[in-house]
Amino acid sequence: MAEKLELLSGTLDLLVLRVLNRGELHGWGITNRLEQLSKKALQVDEGSLYPALYRMEAKGWIEAAWKQTENNRRAKYYTLTRTGRKQLETEQKLWDRTSAIMAMVLDSA
Amino acid sequence: MNLFHRLAHYLGKLTRRRRAEAEMAEEMKFHLEQRAADYAGDGLSAAEARQAARRRFGNAGALQEQARDAWGWGWLERLGKDVHLAIRQLARSPGFTFLSVLTLGLGIGANTATFSIVNAIMFKPLPYPDSGQLDRIDRVTSQNPQARFSPADWLELQRNADRYGELAAYWVVDTSLADPGQPAEFARASRISPNFFAMLRVPLAQGRDFRAGEDVPGRDRVVIISRLCWLNRFGGRADIVGHRVRIDGESHEIIGVLPASFNDGRHLGPLELFRPLAFDHAKAADRRSTSLRVLGRRAPNISPTEASAFIATLGAGLAQEFPEVNAGSTWRTVPLNRTVIDENGRVMMSMLIALSGFVLLIACSNLANLLLARTITRAREFALRSALGASRLQLLRPLITESLVLALAGGACAMLLAWWAMDYLTQRTTDDNGAKMLISLDGRVLAWAFAASLVTAMTFGLAPALFALRLNVNNTLKSGARGATGGRGHQRFRQILIVGQFALALVLLAGAALFVRGLDELNSRRAGWDSEHLITGSVVLPTAAYPDADRINGFHRLALERLQSLPGVASASVSTYTPFFQWFDVRKYVIQNRTAPPRGREPAAVVNRVSAEYFATVGTRIVSGRSFNERDTATSTKVFIVSQTTATAWFGKENPIGHRLARSGTDELAWGEIIGVAADVKAAVDDSNVVKSQLYQPMAQEANPRVEIAVRTAGVAPAAVLESVRAALTALDPDLPVRSLQTAGASIVRANYQLAVLRDLLGTFALLGLSLASLGIYGVITRTMAQRSGEFAIRVALGACVRDITRLVLTSGAKLALVGSTVGLVGAIGISQLIIAAFPTMRFNSAPTIVGATLLLIAIALLACWLPARRAGKVDAMQALRAE
Repeated sequence: MAEKLELLSGTLDLLVLRVLNRGELHGWGITNRLEQLSKKALQVDEGSLYPALYRMEAKGWIEAAWKQTENNRRAKYYTLTRTGRKQLETEQKLWDRTSAIMAMVLDSA
Repeated sequence: MNLFHRLAHYLGKLTRRRRAEAEMAEEMKFHLEQRAADYAGDGLSAAEARQAARRRFGNAGALQEQARDAWGWGWLERLGKDVHLAIRQLARSPGFTFLSVLTLGLGIGANTATFSIVNAIMFKPLPYPDSGQLDRIDRVTSQNPQARFSPADWLELQRNADRYGELAAYWVVDTSLADPGQPAEFARASRISPNFFAMLRVPLAQGRDFRAGEDVPGRDRVVIISRLCWLNRFGGRADIVGHRVRIDGESHEIIGVLPASFNDGRHLGPLELFRPLAFDHAKAADRRSTSLRVLGRRAPNISPTEASAFIATLGAGLAQEFPEVNAGSTWRTVPLNRTVIDENGRVMMSMLIALSGFVLLIACSNLANLLLARTITRAREFALRSALGASRLQLLRPLITESLVLALAGGACAMLLAWWAMDYLTQRTTDDNGAKMLISLDGRVLAWAFAASLVTAMTFGLAPALFALRLNVNNTLKSGARGATGGRGHQRFRQILIVGQFALALVLLAGAALFVRGLDELNSRRAGWDSEHLITGSVVLPTAAYPDADRINGFHRLALERLQSLPGVASASVSTYTPFFQWFDVRKYVIQNRTAPPRGREPAAVVNRVSAEYFATVGTRIVSGRSFNERDTATSTKVFIVSQTTATAWFGKENPIGHRLARSGTDELAWGEIIGVAADVKAAVDDSNVVKSQLYQPMAQEANPRVEIAVRTAGVAPAAVLESVRAALTALDPDLPVRSLQTAGASIVRANYQLAVLRDLLGTFALLGLSLASLGIYGVITRTMAQRSGEFAIRVALGACVRDITRLVLTSGAKLALVGSTVGLVGAIGISQLIIAAFPTMRFNSAPTIVGATLLLIAIALLACWLPARRAGKVDAMQALRAE
């Protein structure tokens, strides 16, 4: 198992939006998916995930609804809204630029 | 999401808060269970898995709090917490809290009570619809800025006023009122033009208004009564409309009752009966007897300036046409809402507001001092918190909340006080008939109190809080316990507060003292008369029973005979006026063998018609010549007595006795001779007469149906003969109302009741200001002493005596009080000038009063300093130093 990385601040929103872009998920699902996608390299801190979810919900980027899970439990599912999709694009672009600049500087230095 | 959605979302969240909390808990539980299941899959036992999951999840409580922040309930929650904390903090120091709330309550209470009065008098428009269109029409003459109109002038004015709008006239006249078969009572009555209520737009509560044709003599026996009259005199009986009463002995039908809102005492005074003005031919042509007042409602399309100009032009025309009466008079309009209170009254009201503001300021600086002291004792805590990274806002917030809570509590306390004050004021301003000034806590007053509380809290709560912020963290923490002395800045700030308090307190004290003494002088004035052992009362002879001068004179003669024969009575008289109240009868004269001055500039005098014994009864001295006697009758030569002022003004150094006068304005001059000179008399009330010349003529030569009876007692207290006087008059004519029969002293005090209310208010302000300022200086000295106990201990250890320490403390307090008083002197002199200007008839002895007030203030300040200073000397050096 590779060494686990703490998430860079500000990147959690982008990751959550990205994950939700593929379809609705509950909080636990988001945690799992992120760990899975990063091949367990990322450890999502619940202490930041839920406040981030509520914050994004308040901003109108995502919407929540209570639904049944496959094994018949009630869980809160989050979906991306139109504003959320737009936000995802913006943040994605921002991240691309930031990482490009970072790479450029780090490579040439 | 647009703004509306965002708002809806937010509000929805807010209202669904409880459910959201439950959902959040459920969601997190779900997460935990999933995680535990995950761990269990890795081979942990169920309990271990749950524990691990919880460990991994972290502090659920903190998490939920962060979530709540994200939802935006944070501020509400924080406010609730802050308020809760503030209340707990305040409860921990009940002494401080009690003092602050009381201080604020007194300050704002005094202010709110004052504002409620000013509001009732000045700000509320008169209770007539569209009262802004209403004017009072004034005829300004050289002798009287508010002269009345003659019937002929009024009719002419009315005929030509279509361009102005609508005019109505009224005439106030005292009458007797009686139910059939019952003894008559005295009533304040008026005659009004039939359109009077229609013009004011006052709908009748019961019955009907006057009809066309009821302003003709003979058909005018109809009367509309006020609601108070209906309640007081007729017990509010349901069948009042159509009921018949006798007014001045003649039967009248009551046709209507006015609504309660009609007269709140600010415009017409306590009038009870309204009858139509009815002129016969002779009266309608009368240009000489000016008795009518005129009101108008401007047409909507005419501006106030245009209206005034129009009326002025009409007046100028009349002055040219009929110069005998109108020469030298100009006409103008005054907005009716502005006539409620005159210029002096307005000044007085502003002064009251300012003075109550002073009380509030003194209260506020006390509060600021208290809060500052509290903040300084917590300086270490603040410094520590600041060092640990608390932001300015976080430090300030609890302080601001605390002062807000204090202000609200103080505001509530103030409302209670204002309520009580209003009760008292309503009681004091209620007149004999139950008419009262309507002072109420309306929205404006509430808004004022609320605003005052908030402004107070913000200013005087923030000032100390900002001081706390300026604390230097390092120094405060390093200086340890001594950090609590507060820096030089704090000392200076406190000293400025104390100096300001004393300056304001001196202004209050000087103003109040001046007014108290001025009113005392007015109430005990003996200016050309003697109110000791004197009873006065008014009598109105009904026209039906006493239609002519003979009958009236007959009654006066008989009544005086009876009164003079009563045991304990030295002498009795009748007159149109008492010497201590204003004389309203202004007349112009022609002096024989003199070139007549231009019209409108004739010598004028206020006239009192008196019976022979008048001068002896009221105690006005005859300086030279003779008094009136029994031989001055309706048929003998007309005679006059003039006052000393009149004599000098009209005749200079010449002896006035023997000169002949006649009343001007008549076609046939009726000459009379001056037979005596009387001492000047000065009223004991606020007398607005411009005319200072006084003139007397015998009652018998021009009898008046309404007279003031005066009875001088000898050897017995005047109150003891009151009943026998009343009985004697009733025995003479049971149908005769005697009004306000009381001792002269009592009636003077009663007449000055408004000034007495003012005196009470000013006195209360001064007392409040003085106690608050003393409390302030006491507190500051006590605190300084506590802080300097170490220094004192060292001084004592080095050999200082107890006396030295006491003197040290005393001097520092006295310095503050002295500087404050010096600053306050300027204000005190200013306010004395204001009061003197506002009450030209009152005599104020301002210089000694101000000096006295200053000395009193300094004495009280010294006492307030001496109490703690005494303890300073007794400091136990060892103990104080060990505590360090």
